[in-house]
Amino acid sequence: MPRFSVHNVKTPARLMAGIAHRIRDMQRLPYVVVTNPHINEVYDLYYTAFDTFRKVKEIKTTEDNDRFCKTIRSMLKAHLPVIPKLAMGILECNGLMDASELDKFMNTILRSRISRRVIAEQHLALTDTFNASWFSPGAKLSESEFIGEVFLKCVAKDVVERVAHTVRDILQHAYGSDVMLPEVRIDGHLDANFPYILSHLEYIIGELLRNSVQAVAERYHHDRNKKIPPGTKPPPIQVTICESSQHVIIRISDQGGGIHREVLPYLWSFSKGPASQQILANLGKVPKMAATMQELQVADEQQHHNPITTASSSRHNPGKNPNPNPGTTSSGMPAVGSESIEFDGQPPSAQAPGGDPNSSLASLASRPPNLRLGMGLPLSRVYAEYWAGSLALHSLEGYGVDAFLQISKLGNKNEQLTTRASMDAV
Amino acid sequence: MPSYIVTLKNDATDEQIAEAKQRAKDQGGQIGHEYTLIKGFQVILPEGTVSTLESIEHVEAVELDQEAQHPLSLADLVKHGRPPLSADALLASARFTLSLLPIRLAHRIQALRNLPYIVVSNPNVSRIYNNYQHSLSTLLPWQGGTISNLDDEIHFTEVLAELVQTHTDTIPVLARGFLECRKYISPAEVTRFLDEHLRARIGTRLIAEHHIALHFSSTPYLDRAKAAAAASNPDTVPDPPPPPPPASYIGVIDTALRPASLVDSCGNFVADICELSYGVRPRWVVDGEPDTTFAFVPSHLEYILTELLKNAFRATVENGMSREPVVITVAPEPPEVKPAPSSSSSSPSPSSKHTEGQKDESRGRDAPIAPLDDNAPGVTIRIRDRGGGISSDVLPNIWSYSFTTFNNDSDDALPGSGSWGGGGGGADDALSVISAASNGASSIAGLGYGLPLSRAYAEYFGGGIAVQSLHGWGTDVYLRLKGVGRIE
Repeated sequence: MPRFSVHNVKTPARLMAGIAHRIRDMQRLPYVVVTNPHINEVYDLYYTAFDTFRKVKEIKTTEDNDRFCKTIRSMLKAHLPVIPKLAMGILECNGLMDASELDKFMNTILRSRISRRVIAEQHLALTDTFNASWFSPGAKLSESEFIGEVFLKCVAKDVVERVAHTVRDILQHAYGSDVMLPEVRIDGHLDANFPYILSHLEYIIGELLRNSVQAVAERYHHDRNKKIPPGTKPPPIQVTICESSQHVIIRISDQGGGIHREVLPYLWSFSKGPASQQILANLGKVPKMAATMQELQVADEQQHHNPITTASSSRHNPGKNPNPNPGTTSSGMPAVGSESIEFDGQPPSAQAPGGDPNSSLASLASRPPNLRLGMGLPLSRVYAEYWAGSLALHSLEGYGVDAFLQISKLGNKNEQLTTRASMDAV
Repeated sequence: MPSYIVTLKNDATDEQIAEAKQRAKDQGGQIGHEYTLIKGFQVILPEGTVSTLESIEHVEAVELDQEAQHPLSLADLVKHGRPPLSADALLASARFTLSLLPIRLAHRIQALRNLPYIVVSNPNVSRIYNNYQHSLSTLLPWQGGTISNLDDEIHFTEVLAELVQTHTDTIPVLARGFLECRKYISPAEVTRFLDEHLRARIGTRLIAEHHIALHFSSTPYLDRAKAAAAASNPDTVPDPPPPPPPASYIGVIDTALRPASLVDSCGNFVADICELSYGVRPRWVVDGEPDTTFAFVPSHLEYILTELLKNAFRATVENGMSREPVVITVAPEPPEVKPAPSSSSSSPSPSSKHTEGQKDESRGRDAPIAPLDDNAPGVTIRIRDRGGGISSDVLPNIWSYSFTTFNNDSDDALPGSGSWGGGGGGADDALSVISAASNGASSIAGLGYGLPLSRAYAEYFGGGIAVQSLHGWGTDVYLRLKGVGRIE
């Protein structure tokens, strides 16, 4: 079990090391790239972050820690736009630098970002637990409770069902009621479960299902494709869950027509070649992107139907202190693992429409189908590979796509996180 | 007299080049073209003198020159027209085939020569080496002259047929040879050699078999057969000719090949074997667009499908899931309106390792045969089974040649008994042996070479194979095939 004091004290150093290395990486990029306004903004954000953290005194008291937590929260919020900004910067730098070098840089910075944000959130969660009314230092805890646990037990089937439901809602809303969406069917080892950061898993599956549902819906819609008689039911998307001793693999098979061969070379890259201009136009319309399921939440008006936060909160504190506020921990702090942490304690789902700026995530969530950002796959892969998994796609051009998400069950994720943090500090 | 290209080392001086040329002339050679971009020259040398040149210190390489100054393409194979070929077209095809083969054989010999001495001394490897030398020496005399009449052509075709026949069991013999030499050569080196060798072999056999097929569907041949039948003298009737191929065939290419039909016939063949070995007959289903047709070499696709279905059926049965059908999806590529840019997802052309840099564009001698055009409509075939998948420790080995899994103790191990599949050793052997026996033409069955060879065939025309395993559930195999082109 992680020891409270050791972890807490080391957090500022870990975060700073990661940030410092990324700053150095950016300083080494060609001048013409870093002077791109978007990349430059990110550079400034990182610089400021480093400057802020280095002024943090050694944490010795609870007040010190509270101040630090406040700093972390505001930092997490300020860095929400980093992903779309980097993506826009890279697209604009098309041709200014070798695409594979750019991808390497992007992958490094995104991986580092995952570890820093999770460390930060873990720190916050540790603090929450420490502050929780039911916790007393030295008390024996049962197995099901972990101090500052950011990993939840994810039952693959449930996650897929929930995400499928949300994705279909969003797309149905966007396409209108006359477009038929394919069903999502699940077979295989339905009991498979594993510890994971729920928001990461939901993001990956969300992107994959979204791609599939969109492709099938558009292919089988009469208006788009005159060969299809009106009223044809689109073929379902088949999700297969396969559990072995070391892995859980989720296969998503669709008949959406496959990936066009011109797009194929750029599928996993953040550089998009000829399609760069169009994607840039789309990206400009998205204010922030936290890359979590909350982006895929249905727009404000429908938040009271939102099954996601209710479900995650019930898992976070199994059996202890039933949580009146969905999406938060028992002490009123936001649910761990969500990147859009509200430092004023308001859970995202309960805010008034148009209130907190972070509700702009909802606008990304309900992005219309033609707003193709081109980042879902490479970003999902960064997350998948971060936790020793993998994401692969096989396209049958003219027929459909099979996506394979492999999740590693091995190893203590908390330990992995600490190891990764020290690796990223290199 | 054969024509050679002599290349000198990069650091050779002008005097050294002049010296080499003089040497060649001393041997009775005639200097032809002298290259400016590279340090080298073309020379026509009398027989047997080539080795003197090779021994000159500054000489990098001496290679048979290729008369055709363009990289080989499938267009060349079908340019003689649709069968039945006229006498002229048939002669042209013979001459063209003759121009391609010796250089390819020479390259094989060169590759074999570069293997460690102890390896080529092995009786099995040595036998194959001799086969190639014999074949080359049989063809070289033809190179000097020309095939000018139909008798020549018949004779030439007989030579070709003998060549094809001689080299039929190259693979199992080589495999046995490498197995016996495993102490002297690393698995990686063997894989590298075999990959290159077997791919080149595909092309060489293709060219030879193609001409033979054209011969048997040519007008002169058919006329002779009719005349002989009419004469009805038992003594003069030649061996019964093979039945004329369907109208969609051009040589070994079927321009209207229906993969779904081939899936069914291969499926039946493999299911029969399963029934014999396991007592169970797996089922399969073909979905997607089963009526798709495209232009391809049927014998290649038949080999690939047999191997892939063997894997799928065996896994399914051994996993106790024989009630679950293997699902085969046939997905035709949508026709491309404009030429498509080369996709990074297709495997790099095997010839990229071969072609000697940018020295001479026409040196694509060992290049795989390019498809007719980039718009050649292709097909993707997905084979999905419930065979339990491939475990992660076995997965990295599926593309290497089976000798790597043999135990070191037994030199008598039959090829095939150690195939990586691992499950049910006894049934495995039975399956291999039976399939090898019944599939008389191809004794390569059951070697554990199935996957790497299938991939070589698929990649030969720009396609590929990808394997995705769901360990604990099943395996998906994606077979991408590029058609050999639209042939009017």
